[in-house]
Amino acid sequence: MTLYLPIAEMSVSIVVYVALGLSIGFLSGLFGVGGGFLLMPLLTFLGVPSAVAVATSSSHVVASSVSGAITHYRRGNVDIKMGLVMLAGGLAGTYLGVAAVKILRQAGFFDLTISLIYVVFLGVVGTFILVEGINASRQAGAAGRPLARRSGQHSWMEGLPFKMRFPRSKLYMSVVPPLIIGLFIGCMSAIMGIGGGFVMIPAMIYLLRMPTGLVIGTSLFQIVFVAALATVLHAVENKTVDIVLATILIVGGVIGAQFGTIVGQKLRGEHLRLLLGALILLVAARMAFDLVLPPKDLFSLSAIAGAS
Amino acid sequence: MRRVVLAAMIALGAVGIARADAPKESVEADASTRQVAITSSFTGTEILVFGAVSNSMQPSPEAGTYDIIVVVEGIPTPAVVRKKSRVGGIWVNTQSMRFASVPSYYAIASTRPVDEIADRAVLDTHGIGFDHVRMVRAVQSRTDATDPAELETFRQALIRLKEKERVYVKSDFGVSFVGRSLFRATIALPPNVPVAPLTAHVYLFKDGQMLGQYDSRVMLQREGIERYIHETALTRPLLYGIFTVMMAAGCGLAAAFAFRKPA
Repeated sequence: MTLYLPIAEMSVSIVVYVALGLSIGFLSGLFGVGGGFLLMPLLTFLGVPSAVAVATSSSHVVASSVSGAITHYRRGNVDIKMGLVMLAGGLAGTYLGVAAVKILRQAGFFDLTISLIYVVFLGVVGTFILVEGINASRQAGAAGRPLARRSGQHSWMEGLPFKMRFPRSKLYMSVVPPLIIGLFIGCMSAIMGIGGGFVMIPAMIYLLRMPTGLVIGTSLFQIVFVAALATVLHAVENKTVDIVLATILIVGGVIGAQFGTIVGQKLRGEHLRLLLGALILLVAARMAFDLVLPPKDLFSLSAIAGAS
Repeated sequence: MRRVVLAAMIALGAVGIARADAPKESVEADASTRQVAITSSFTGTEILVFGAVSNSMQPSPEAGTYDIIVVVEGIPTPAVVRKKSRVGGIWVNTQSMRFASVPSYYAIASTRPVDEIADRAVLDTHGIGFDHVRMVRAVQSRTDATDPAELETFRQALIRLKEKERVYVKSDFGVSFVGRSLFRATIALPPNVPVAPLTAHVYLFKDGQMLGQYDSRVMLQREGIERYIHETALTRPLLYGIFTVMMAAGCGLAAAFAFRKPA
């Protein structure tokens, strides 16, 4: 059974894309991540133009993070004030990211840039998670490693201006670091079609030193809005959001995520992190190979010549 | 004997006069489908281009007195061809060539290879054949190739890539006569055919001379939900984007609700 995608302008097999949505959803539920970093590369491997893949992934991120955000909000796990500060940076970053996509597409460097960013970004994050996971499983026998939280000790961040009190996180700090983190991740997520939780969460724990209990809820809270804005801006600026493709992937994704969560609860945290790290590195390696190996065809064709 | 020769001469003369008087051959043609609907179940289609040579003097369909070339062309669209080369170990687009217009779709079918039918000049004027497709170069940019030999490789690359996408199609013996004057050709429209009106040009050749040409139009149109989505995405992108977000959020919430654990 095939379906014609109105924006990607191609005819695709529904079964393949629903299966893709289900498996991405399963993995995202399993690891507690958005899954955008897997979805975007897989869509391009299947022949979807990378700009359409990025924009459509953004809408997938909205779907996969909205229910989590609401659950965490109900449980009071969201630092709204911190979330809003990061969101302010995030929205500005999204705008920059979408504009960057437009410029890069016209210059013919979009595919290359996105591959490079993916390789570097996923390489670093994957290594980080893998090393963390290995350390954690080594220490698993010993007593649980207490996460040192020294509120107020931000070393170099102490000197920054525009200090603000964040009662929910019990922090008194400059708004500059959360703004910059938001900006950076907003920009990356608009370019890469990801939520960016797997970067934001470590940043919030290690740089902002937020309480771990609030980190996931707060990051989801702002990811929902950033991804929503990215989707709308991609639709307006680049006209690359394919709602039919998005619907197929999302329906598969949200169902898959539920099963992933169930399985995830049965696995140990450090094992999950090992798997996630390995998976991220695998995607990075696959994309790196494509950059280094001589392409099958040196020539490529694109319809965009400036305007349309 | 003399009489016979005389009769033959008269007969020949009569034929000669008849030939001179006979109306010139011309061609008329049409496409089997004037409207192709691109719906959500569109997986490509075929159109049949058929026509007849009026005043055909061809004794049989196989005689090969006439040559027919059918060219189905989309609209002129801009395109960029880029070439990669190795920079610091990775493959980067370094050269490009911009075309202000190339046909979005180009299908050609003929009774035999076009180069055997007519000479270069004729093919060039009418844009008949892959080597003669009308392409207009755009204003040069900094990374554009300039060497003529290189320009040719870019041109060929464009044709090759379009052929790989199945939007440029060639069928050297794709036109067949089914009678002394009647001919037909099937033209494949792939699922990714650019949605734009097509023009079918039918050319009639005899001994390298073009005797006639006939054009007809085939409309490609998005229909139903497909058309609605595409139009909304282009004309009301904000609404379209917001709607996509709402759909996404709705799906996320619905799934969370449906799979909710009994608390």
